[in-house]
Amino acid sequence: MLGISVVLLLVLLGLVGTLLTSPEMRRTGAYPVRLPPGQGTLLGTDSLGRNIAIQLSEAILKSLQVGLLAAALGTFFGALIGFASGYFGKLVDAVLRVLIDVFLSVPSLVFLILIASLVKGVGVQAIALIIGMFAWASPARQSRAQVLSLKERGFVQIARLSGMSGLEIVFLELMPNMFQWLGANFVNAFLAAVLAEAGLSLLGLGPQRDMTLGMMIYWALSYGAILQNLWWWWLLPVLTLMCLFLSLYLIHLGLDEVSNPRLAAQA
Amino acid sequence: MTSYLRYLAGRALLWLVTIVVAVTVVFVVPRLVPGDPMDAMLQRLAAAGGAINAPELIAQYREMFGLDRSISEQYVSFLRELARGNFGYSINNFPSNVTDIVIPAIPWTIGLLSVTTIFSWTLGSLIGAIVGWRGGRSRFFQALVPIALVLYTTPYYILALILIFLFAFTWRIFPLSGGAFSVGVRPELTLKFALDVLHHAALPALSIILVSLGWWFLSMRSLITTQKGEDYILLAEAKGLPERRILWSYAFRNAMLPQATGLALSLGHIVGGALITEVIFAYQGLGWVIYNAIKSLDFPVIQGSVLLLIIAVTTTNFLIDLAYPLIDPRIRQAGRE
Repeated sequence: MLGISVVLLLVLLGLVGTLLTSPEMRRTGAYPVRLPPGQGTLLGTDSLGRNIAIQLSEAILKSLQVGLLAAALGTFFGALIGFASGYFGKLVDAVLRVLIDVFLSVPSLVFLILIASLVKGVGVQAIALIIGMFAWASPARQSRAQVLSLKERGFVQIARLSGMSGLEIVFLELMPNMFQWLGANFVNAFLAAVLAEAGLSLLGLGPQRDMTLGMMIYWALSYGAILQNLWWWWLLPVLTLMCLFLSLYLIHLGLDEVSNPRLAAQA
Repeated sequence: MTSYLRYLAGRALLWLVTIVVAVTVVFVVPRLVPGDPMDAMLQRLAAAGGAINAPELIAQYREMFGLDRSISEQYVSFLRELARGNFGYSINNFPSNVTDIVIPAIPWTIGLLSVTTIFSWTLGSLIGAIVGWRGGRSRFFQALVPIALVLYTTPYYILALILIFLFAFTWRIFPLSGGAFSVGVRPELTLKFALDVLHHAALPALSIILVSLGWWFLSMRSLITTQKGEDYILLAEAKGLPERRILWSYAFRNAMLPQATGLALSLGHIVGGALITEVIFAYQGLGWVIYNAIKSLDFPVIQGSVLLLIIAVTTTNFLIDLAYPLIDPRIRQAGRE
């Protein structure tokens, strides 16, 4: 839908930007400082003489990278844990269920702050890892609910009666049914991860070495961009971030419609 | 009544487990850094330019937390100090306690969060109910939906930046920052001070309220729309009840239940977003304290505030869980499981 096209557009911009520029152009001081957009550069420059457009393209890719990695980790492990909890039941389920509830109810940003403050100055991958560590709870709960409902449905019992082993049932019968909803969960986790990364970066806990959308805003604020009326420095990453969030949410809505035909009928 | 007690016990257990897990994580994580946690802290400080009173600080900590003893003994002393309310000393503002720094900030955060959350939740639910019910009949109502969509997907702090730019910079209606009250003003219980606080807190509150409104509005609207299709509504209409009565006495009350659950579930998210919003406005709440502690690598303060926040959110969750069966009798039966 609309969401997918916007996201793809952003990715394209990011790719084009990073591939067409050379490292020289990215160095601090490569351009005159504080140029508003239009005077020779496409989107202006910041206080350190870096081209905003170039920064933006790099930042888009890095932010997406963080989101992708963290969401993949979170959804994968979450689905696995939720699956184990739902399928094996009894004690495993009881223990895992409490764990899931604990991680769901805690403000994850707070934990993230704690961990990130101890490992300051890391790269994009590490941040993604840390965010992924807390992204598993929601997929886990949903996965568990799915498994529980699927377990009792007819085709599982038939498979069992026809002598399929437990593992066979898992992979051949249950998994394919969960893929659809897994996609929606992934998009959700993606959104949350980009959000978390932006938040952490604003606080100064982001990947200092790389440029992500959140870090761009952080640098803009640190150098007082709002007060100096360098609106292009902070507004552009802000708008990009908003577009990203909106489009991801639209994708999420779209996927919801696909997996839940009742909603599609209502729309 | 026993089913209610059983439900209570289950929720209390969850509360306890969450706190234990949180305390353990806050204990374990700094110790995963290789080396003595104190050394790690002071190393970073030395790299950043040194700390005053470093030897006394190390000695105090070693003694208080027994860092020269085994891990399990450390854990016990950590817990013991926590129970006494002793979170340790702030590295940055030694010899101030962590509690001395954190406690004054708490009322500001609680004030901001509670007012904005309650306000946006109630208003959002009301407006959402009306729009959900009257739905397609009014263009104005329909236009609200995409607006709410855009609002909801924006994080608080992003909206805050935009609001600052518009209302504080371009049109000087509100102050740029300076926390909850103007610089140099002493907090006192006067109307003048209260107005000053409102003036300063307006933008932070607005950023949180607008975004939250978007979400509660959308969620209530979809809940009411679902209710509209239910059979009992059809029966009420057939009975000839006035539309207003059907909406508020029937549909709204049933839709409020998931809405309340939504409130409980999103508390963690709200707190997280509000923390960052505080930073943008230099609002002296807990978020500001944490931000400064991060900048100056003041680990005891970070850990203390993190712990405090988690305890606060978990307890609030627990309280909402307590109230829930009183609204929804079905939960009382579920407690029998």
